[in-house]
Amino acid sequence: MNCDWVKQNITLYIYDELADDARHEMEQHAERCGDCAAEMESARGFRVQMSAALPAAEPTPNLLAASRMRLSEALESAEPVHRWRWALDIAGWLQQVRFAPALAAVLLMVGFAGGVMASYKLLNKPAEVAQVSKSAPAPTQASIAGITSIIPDPGSRKVEIQYDTVQPEKVEGTIDDPRVQQLLLFAARSNYNAGVRMDSVDLLAQRPEDRQVRDALIFALRYDNNPGVRLKALDGLGPYVDNDTSVRNAVLEALLNDSNPGVRSEAIVLLKSVKADAAVRQALQQLSRQDRSKFIRSESQRVLNTLPEID
Amino acid sequence: MVSQTLRRVDDTTLIREAQRGNRVAFEELVRQYDRAVLRLALHLTGSEQDAQDIYQEAFLKAYRNVGNFRFECSFYTWIYRIVTNLCLDHLRKRNVRKEDAGVATDAEGNEYSVIEQTADARPGADPERDLMRRELGNRIGRALERLTPRERMVFELKHYHGLKLRTIGEVLSTTEETAKNTLFRATQKLRGSLADMR
Repeated sequence: MNCDWVKQNITLYIYDELADDARHEMEQHAERCGDCAAEMESARGFRVQMSAALPAAEPTPNLLAASRMRLSEALESAEPVHRWRWALDIAGWLQQVRFAPALAAVLLMVGFAGGVMASYKLLNKPAEVAQVSKSAPAPTQASIAGITSIIPDPGSRKVEIQYDTVQPEKVEGTIDDPRVQQLLLFAARSNYNAGVRMDSVDLLAQRPEDRQVRDALIFALRYDNNPGVRLKALDGLGPYVDNDTSVRNAVLEALLNDSNPGVRSEAIVLLKSVKADAAVRQALQQLSRQDRSKFIRSESQRVLNTLPEID
Repeated sequence: MVSQTLRRVDDTTLIREAQRGNRVAFEELVRQYDRAVLRLALHLTGSEQDAQDIYQEAFLKAYRNVGNFRFECSFYTWIYRIVTNLCLDHLRKRNVRKEDAGVATDAEGNEYSVIEQTADARPGADPERDLMRRELGNRIGRALERLTPRERMVFELKHYHGLKLRTIGEVLSTTEETAKNTLFRATQKLRGSLADMR
């Protein structure tokens, strides 16, 4: 370690970018070398000066709120371009239309007569669709009610097409059937009718080992506005609280933030098996003091009391 | 707070949801990054209006392109990349506009453009110290103006926002080594400028 090296790397030192051993050596060197010590002081002083005179202030709450509102308004009218994006080129498009039963089937579930957009990404390759035909209806051309827009992607051969089909369809199969599963996932997220959402979540909860299903259940638990649907999602996720952190966190969140006391108390029950977890314990402590519902307060306290004291 | 930690861990779920067109999920993601984004834009531009514009543009761009996010880097890096590119554009435009903007000359005859300061303008208990601090703030502002947009950006991210050089490299789509050398040049220039101005 010589003075040249120190001078070259002093910047890294003041910004904590040196490896631990290099940092140590530099400090040791500075103890023996007056010039380098002075250089170090000067560099430190520079850093302090830059921060003090032109501090990186936190944006005011007003500015943040105003920015958020403005963004929200803009998002409302922004097109979520990738919502039904199929990366199509012309030949591929023809392939897709040939396997339209998948598209037609997406409209399923009773009562979709209103012209619903195919808001669903095709996951299976055409070959897989053909194999499922034992339970799906024989392939037919979906009746396309109308093409509402065609948007070419500038600079590439891709195009995005939005179309409506008005054809009530039916699919029968077990929940292991990937077709059925895709539709259940769709319904759990997007259906207007809470009853249909609840049914689909109920069915999906029978297969939470699938990552996509689990994500859909977590989403329903977090964002569905119907407490019945949220409860069903919670039921499905229950067995995974132990070994899946994302499930545990979602349940913990529900415990702290869900507006419905029934959901919150069910969450307590599910978290009992992991009550030793620090985050869970903290949450329970918070609830035992602050929850609006007396039942929740006492329940949380009761569970906490069964924990051994750990410091 | 417990629930804030929980939210951070579940980025992946939120991102996947946002990619499926879920606006609520996207807005939740925005909440996690928007304060940092606004702080960056505000400090760099020195203007609340400009900061808001950059904020708006960055998140709209993110919304339109979230479908292209392939989890190859972290979402944090991805968002910072979008904002940084917008900030670089802003800096380049400002350099070009120097001729139009109010240009003043300092004691050595060097030109500099008048920039808005976000330095604390509240009257303090010690007016002389306030004046000195404002003076220093102006000098530093001028020194920063002398950096190239990239040098300014690297310095900004490192010094004022604490990003690691490795992250800065990723954000600027370059190597950590390049980011390091850019930082060296930036600090050398700044220390030189400040020494001259004393």
